Amino acid sequence: MKSRRSIIVFWALFLMPTLIIAGLALKLLSHEQERINQSAIKALSQRAETVSQTIHITIEDVLENLKQSLLAIEQDTLETTLLIWEETNPLVRNIFLYNNQTLKYPARGMESTLEERRFIARYEPLFSGRVKFDFNTASIKELQKLKGIGAVYPKTARYDSIPEKQTKSSRQKLVALSKVVQKAPDLKQESSGLNKLKQNSTNKSGWIPWFSENRLHILGWVKKIEKGPIYGIELELMTLLSRLVLDFPEISDPGAALVLMDGNSNVIHQTGTMDVTPDKKPVKLIHVSNLLPHWYIGVFIDDKGFGTIKGFLYISILLLAIFIVAIISGGILLTRLTLTNMKDARQKTSFVSSVSHELKTPLTSIRMYAELLLSKRVKNEEKIQTYLSTIVNESSRLTRLINNILDFGKLEQGNKKYHLENFELDGFLEQIIKTHSIRIENQGLEIKTLIKKRNYKIKTDKDALEQVILNLLDNALKYAGQGRFIKFVLKKENSSIILKICDDGPGIPKEQQSKIFEKFHRIDNSLTSQQPGSGLGLSIAQQIIKDLGGKLYFKPVSPNGSCFIIRINNYDPS
Amino acid sequence: MTQLKQHYFSAILSFLAIATVFSLITGTAWAKAGHNKVICRVETDRAILPAGDSQTVILKITLDAPAAPVNIKRPAVNLSLVLDQSGSMNGTKIKKAKAAAIEALTRLGLQDIFSVVVYDTNVHTIVPAQNARNIQGIINTIQQIRAGGSTALFGGVSQGAAEIRKNLESDFVNRIILLSDGLANVGPRMPSDLGRLGAALIKENISVTTIGVGTDYNEDLMAQLAQKSDGNIYFVESGVDLPRIFAAELGDVLNVVAKKVKVTITLPDNIQAVKIIGREGRIRDNQVELYMNQLYGNQEKYALIEVNIPESKSWSKPGTKIKIAHADVIYDNPFTNTREQSTGISYASFSKDSKKVAKSANIDVVREYQLNLNALAKEKAIKLSDKGNKKEAVKELKQSAAKLKKIGTLYEDKEMLEQAGEIEIQADRIESQGMSKKSRKLLRTESYQMKNQQMIKK
Repeated sequence: MKSRRSIIVFWALFLMPTLIIAGLALKLLSHEQERINQSAIKALSQRAETVSQTIHITIEDVLENLKQSLLAIEQDTLETTLLIWEETNPLVRNIFLYNNQTLKYPARGMESTLEERRFIARYEPLFSGRVKFDFNTASIKELQKLKGIGAVYPKTARYDSIPEKQTKSSRQKLVALSKVVQKAPDLKQESSGLNKLKQNSTNKSGWIPWFSENRLHILGWVKKIEKGPIYGIELELMTLLSRLVLDFPEISDPGAALVLMDGNSNVIHQTGTMDVTPDKKPVKLIHVSNLLPHWYIGVFIDDKGFGTIKGFLYISILLLAIFIVAIISGGILLTRLTLTNMKDARQKTSFVSSVSHELKTPLTSIRMYAELLLSKRVKNEEKIQTYLSTIVNESSRLTRLINNILDFGKLEQGNKKYHLENFELDGFLEQIIKTHSIRIENQGLEIKTLIKKRNYKIKTDKDALEQVILNLLDNALKYAGQGRFIKFVLKKENSSIILKICDDGPGIPKEQQSKIFEKFHRIDNSLTSQQPGSGLGLSIAQQIIKDLGGKLYFKPVSPNGSCFIIRINNYDPS
Repeated sequence: MTQLKQHYFSAILSFLAIATVFSLITGTAWAKAGHNKVICRVETDRAILPAGDSQTVILKITLDAPAAPVNIKRPAVNLSLVLDQSGSMNGTKIKKAKAAAIEALTRLGLQDIFSVVVYDTNVHTIVPAQNARNIQGIINTIQQIRAGGSTALFGGVSQGAAEIRKNLESDFVNRIILLSDGLANVGPRMPSDLGRLGAALIKENISVTTIGVGTDYNEDLMAQLAQKSDGNIYFVESGVDLPRIFAAELGDVLNVVAKKVKVTITLPDNIQAVKIIGREGRIRDNQVELYMNQLYGNQEKYALIEVNIPESKSWSKPGTKIKIAHADVIYDNPFTNTREQSTGISYASFSKDSKKVAKSANIDVVREYQLNLNALAKEKAIKLSDKGNKKEAVKELKQSAAKLKKIGTLYEDKEMLEQAGEIEIQADRIESQGMSKKSRKLLRTESYQMKNQQMIKK
């Protein structure tokens, strides 16, 4: 018993560190997951940064080119050149010409298209002179200084580094669009005339991000000559966006997305298939450019992490789980095996001792009575008769015991051979009862028989069946000696023959009922300890009945007593 | 409901029939006669005007496009299909869209360029711009389209334009066909934003034709995009009609006979242009300028202008015949790659006899004028109903119907009476059921088609 407890304690001690190590491993794993997440966010943010820088540089290039183109327009052909721009250049939404505090083009009224009239209304504060065109020049320059735009970005930060053909060309195409002046050939020829103008030129210019009805518009203006006209264009923001969004890198991970958002947090463009709903918060916001105020690129990552990284955690946890289950189940298996082995060893020891005892008791009686008879001191004929019958009974008990042990060996190895023959079961049973009636009556028990008159012809092994009945009878005599009777019942039920051997002894405790048919099992109580036994009888009986195609089971009788029932199915020899 | 459907179906059917007839006509009399210039006609709503009075006169400037010449190769087409593959397209819609895309592909020739862009939350070019040669390969790619995700309409069109741009330098008829069934929820989504995109694309000679499927798309957005880029607009309730529409649309593209059309109408000094009906343009002193992107073979497009003749005793004397308008049309002929010109002049005489004046009415001009006013009434009704003013919207439609009916009865014009009947039915339905998604789409699409005369006329 002690050793059993120590095995479990040992196992528990072994389990404890395993669980602790598993817990630590899990914690480490989640840390690792977090670290990988962070580095992924960092990588994505860097990409977003690159995109934002490229957008900024592109817009800067576009605006610078447009400004240079505006400055290069000959003053005499100002209106016609601008009109050609408006008509042909997708980057130009509207043009304007403003001189002496009045708007020269577009004209107010029906001469303008609806779009032009809306344009005038949009910039009314500028065109009416209430707000000066250069009102924001200082602030923009300051911002640029702060951000250090233009100088800091290394060349590799541009999209040139991304080896996609279209990316490169779409940016270049956009920038090329803004170099309007190169497309006007007549301007090149008159470049010498520019020198004259240089003397009184101011070359003032600026870009105005303008909010009207909560929407962003960008106006560019140029004042080439002091006291000359102010003219410029309104940038077609949609063209700019339409070209810029082509440059976004592709993100294949379903758990991530880069989203370009305008000042009202509207999604302008998204790359990455993640479903970005308004309730999702970006892990990082990157300001795009001060030329697009309040525009951001948001880095979004799914709460559950990235697809590839999620896999890492799942696989690690799975491995860990398998590892722990293997350890625990291995431990359980080993413990069980050890415990079973110990039990087996105990049972064998008790088997040997009980069998030795079983053998010794009849042998002692036989030897004692034989010696008495040999000494010829017993003259009484009756006494001699009693001694002899005891010798016969004890030796037959010895034979049954040895038969049981032999049978047990054969049954274990599956070598037991059965000799089937036809006989009448009722006659056979009555004969056995008659043979053993003295034994039963000597024990002080009454024999009750309940045999219904039927045809009980069966084909089975007579000796084996007798052995079973005797085993059950021996059990009843051994353990139900204080009872009043032993009852034999034989009847037919449906297609089976039922043979019951019942007693009104103390019965079998409920918790033991399931174990009585196990080999070597002996009920451990005061009753059995007084009785010799090998613990093989019931086990052998059940095995034999099973081999013969029947069933042996136990049924308690209330209020006390027990009943063993043999059900024989293939009774009909025909 | 069924009447409208029938009307719609008959429109599609007539479409197809005419497209077939075209190809026959092209080969016969017109081409042989060398009649391959755009003809410009200027008409007034009455040939004889009341003398001396201040009055409003309707000018109709009609451009009759010739049939595409059969002996000269038609201009090559640079077509980009932009298909919505968002989750809502699942089922019949995506199936039919694929069938339509394949239909489009098989109609192209070896000199044409074809590309397919699909969009959901992201945008993918599944067939980069290429010659329509490897048809089987492209068909296999198209067959693999699966629906799912959001609707990045802006990105889709942008990418489609990028595919077109790869061959922009060559002389192609550039066209994006956009198909969508849902609200754009990724990217700019205001109708005016998409309108600006269209306006920018037309500067690169790219037109966007929009096809709305089902009743959940934003018709305003689709209409603006098509209108500003001078493409067509279609509304199909289920996907079933898609292949037919694609066939009809490509019939259009393949038949472009004039591009970059600019119409300048010059009026005598004392006649004042008041407004342009249904089209964008500018009124500059006594000049009216109008732009159209392209004319299809055998198509008739027109513009209506309201002009005001002031009261004058000396100028509009009875019995005099004076030039009332002079229209110059300049356009690119894609077959000869030359800039061509055509002129139309309208004269009007004056009379004191009011019977004579009434008798001289030009029913054609009157009809188109009234139908265009009707189209504007439809737009106004949409606006009113959007503001929650259902009663006013119904009233607007009913007034327009009554007016059409009155004038239709006066001139015994079937078309006007028919339209009046249809509008009445629509108004009644809106009155009883409210402005349904479908009614709104029908009104918007019909009004657009009327104003832009994008449907080939019977």
